[in-house]
Amino acid sequence: MTRTTPAFFANVRQLTEGKSAREVATALLVRNAMVLILLVVICYFAYRSARFATLDNVTTILIAAAPFALIALGQTLVILTGGIDLSVGSVIAVSAMSAAWTAVRVPDQLWLAPVVATGVGLLAGAVNGLLVSRFSVPPFVATLGMLTAASGFAYAIGNGAPINGVPDGYGAFANTEVLGMKIPVLLMIVGFITFWFVLRHTTFGLRIYAIGGNSSAASLAGVPTERTRVWVYLISGGLAGVSGLMISSRVISGSPTLGQGYELDAIAAVVIGGASLFGGRGTVWGTLLGLMLIQTLNNGLQILVIPPYWQAVIKGALIAAAVAIDVWATRRTRS
Amino acid sequence: MRVVALITTHSPSRTHTETKGSRVVPALQVDGLFKAFGGVPVLHDLSFAVEPGSVVVLAGENGAGKSTLFNIVMGRLPADSGTVTLRGTELTHPSPRHARDLGVALVPQELAPYEDLTVAENIAVGREPRAAGFVLRRRQMRAHARELLAEFDVDVDPDLPMNRLSVALTQIVEIVKATSSGAKILLLDEPTSSIPEAEVERLYQVIRRLRDRGVAMVYTTHRMQEIEAIADRVVVLRDGGLTLDEPAREVRPHQIVTAMIGRELGTMFPERPAPGTTPVLEVNELRRRPGRPTVDLTVHAGEVVGLGGLVGAGRSATLKAIFGANRAAAGTVTVNGKALHRQSVRASIDAGLAFVPEDRKRDGLVLGRSILDNMTLPYIADYSRFGVMRSRARTAAATRHVEDMRLRYRSLQQLTETLSGGNQQKIVIARWMDRSPAVLLLDEPTRGVDVGARSEIYRIISELAATGLAVLVASSDMPELIGLTHRVLVMRDGAIAGELDRADLDAPDAQARIFHLASGEDAARHTTEEGR
Repeated sequence: MTRTTPAFFANVRQLTEGKSAREVATALLVRNAMVLILLVVICYFAYRSARFATLDNVTTILIAAAPFALIALGQTLVILTGGIDLSVGSVIAVSAMSAAWTAVRVPDQLWLAPVVATGVGLLAGAVNGLLVSRFSVPPFVATLGMLTAASGFAYAIGNGAPINGVPDGYGAFANTEVLGMKIPVLLMIVGFITFWFVLRHTTFGLRIYAIGGNSSAASLAGVPTERTRVWVYLISGGLAGVSGLMISSRVISGSPTLGQGYELDAIAAVVIGGASLFGGRGTVWGTLLGLMLIQTLNNGLQILVIPPYWQAVIKGALIAAAVAIDVWATRRTRS
Repeated sequence: MRVVALITTHSPSRTHTETKGSRVVPALQVDGLFKAFGGVPVLHDLSFAVEPGSVVVLAGENGAGKSTLFNIVMGRLPADSGTVTLRGTELTHPSPRHARDLGVALVPQELAPYEDLTVAENIAVGREPRAAGFVLRRRQMRAHARELLAEFDVDVDPDLPMNRLSVALTQIVEIVKATSSGAKILLLDEPTSSIPEAEVERLYQVIRRLRDRGVAMVYTTHRMQEIEAIADRVVVLRDGGLTLDEPAREVRPHQIVTAMIGRELGTMFPERPAPGTTPVLEVNELRRRPGRPTVDLTVHAGEVVGLGGLVGAGRSATLKAIFGANRAAAGTVTVNGKALHRQSVRASIDAGLAFVPEDRKRDGLVLGRSILDNMTLPYIADYSRFGVMRSRARTAAATRHVEDMRLRYRSLQQLTETLSGGNQQKIVIARWMDRSPAVLLLDEPTRGVDVGARSEIYRIISELAATGLAVLVASSDMPELIGLTHRVLVMRDGAIAGELDRADLDAPDAQARIFHLASGEDAARHTTEEGR
């Protein structure tokens, strides 16, 4: 064998060789169980409500998904290295507050707001990264500390109160349309493509997988494990900063409760997508599916006017069921 | 045959020996076993028997079908046809439970004890002595464990947590546990693959004692010495078929090897071309920790230097310190006359050092990634531009290496966890070859590797040395140290205790001398012990 066939074709051949069309179809469906589950959920909502499958509603879903998408992408990298970033929700709050505060103080220099929001996020990420890599603090503990501290900062900035009276121009970050899409939606799409490329085709991506798969082997093969880890938390923090700006720009104000609990949805999206919390396994495609499942459920249950508490119950149950089906299907194809 | 002799002398006291008339019922009998996976036959027409109170060594290269056989006997896999009979009862509806009820137990290669529980707790798990149904009776549990361990002359405190025991003792505790639940047929999957040679004797003692009690054992190993030491009978598999089934005392090692690999092996160790005189690797006063002894050594171009010593003598730690994986407290490492300034793995790699760690699964491979990814990990920057990997360059490099190494694989996308030990090891060595490093550091390069792959790894090492590479290889395997190297340094307590040159190694007392240097014991005493 002198030339290797690309992975995709190799997989196709493995899947189809010596099998009937029916077997191939089953294998394809079972392999992509999560896609199927998502389609079933979408079809159900579309059947129950005429409002669900409209362009307006799809746009609504995408706009709501965008801030989650960014932190879920950062979280994907962190989880692939075998870590976790619990602080992203609080980082959203502190960067939103910092950006809104800046916009109120220097209303004629609105360009400063995104710089401040991203900067605050990067700073939080850098602290997380250094704690985890240089000081060997377990990621759960390091980022839990950051969750608490960042939330404290967020409250301190407005003395416990939200920041109002932000100039209207501040809303432009969330509402300006570029290429027919609002900026957050565009960022989300660009984000997914970039991260897919990074994980699939760059040395940085390979190193992330190697660290998560076997950090001792990676470091003995010369992978700069400390530096890579710092980068991963830095990226996660920076994206949380951008996400914070998106959210506060949408409501043209800052509040210390923005982003509260978002970290759980972000982690859920990554894990629903098939990533292992031990690291080394997971894909951007999986995160996209997980994100879309959560966001579709949020939106659909609202459209069906289900009482909010019951929405939470149904959403939780469906997420657990979806992952159970996916795991069952994967196991069936393996054996 | 040994079994018969044992039975005639001991049979009155041995109630476990079930007899029908005068014939002994085999503890395990396999008849005409067939098994295929996806149309590929893994076992075909396999028949053999294991008598109670005997040890059958099951030999065969990786992939010969040993694991499949174990899984069928354990009731984990159904056979396509053929029968498994356990102590006179056929395993008709294979299930792990049924097999266990018939007295089969497996001690797996990768042990999975409850690390943080004590020895007594580990032995008791699943059958804990209880009061009122749920209160653990600790005292009784400990007494029971102590009793069991004493039966085997194992001196271990039952209150020690399992993670404090050596691998050998862990293994012994697992065996004690398996047999205490009444196992009469014990399957031991490469029990010695991760035990240092010095501790193997303890394991043998336990096995001999079990044999005297009538337990039938099937034992897999890659080491020829073990067959001589422990086997009553040798069964060899090749490609799923039986190629040899003989009493151990009637079969010579070379016959076993031929049966395993299907051809004459020839000499295990290749020629050693004379080394050059240019020093390539120079280690000066390397001190791993303050207050510990220092290490000085030099390896010349084309030279293979062995690093011998007992476990804990500091061989692995020295290699790691040279490679910069463990920061040394003091000392210098010089490669081709240039001293390494910063001690880091990256700096060492860039200076031309390459390292093959002792435990390829723990420190060598990212098992969940492909051959391609693992093969290109150390020099990934060489196959990238601005951080973007060039897939054609990577594929070309990896393809070249897998072919040089005669790797058996399906595709470069294959996950390394699906490869056999020998093939995994080849990857860990091959991936360093792209930049032609100056120094190759190997830690136990053939541990758990079958005999065919082992001879290929020796060939690869020699070929690399012949191109002018300096090779430093740490090994616990005496024949390997003596056969492969130009020179052996023996370590004791973190320092180099002595050196054997080629003439010393060719002398008949080479093993005894290495042992003497390694243990600090009297060489003469060792020789007499061996003669016993």
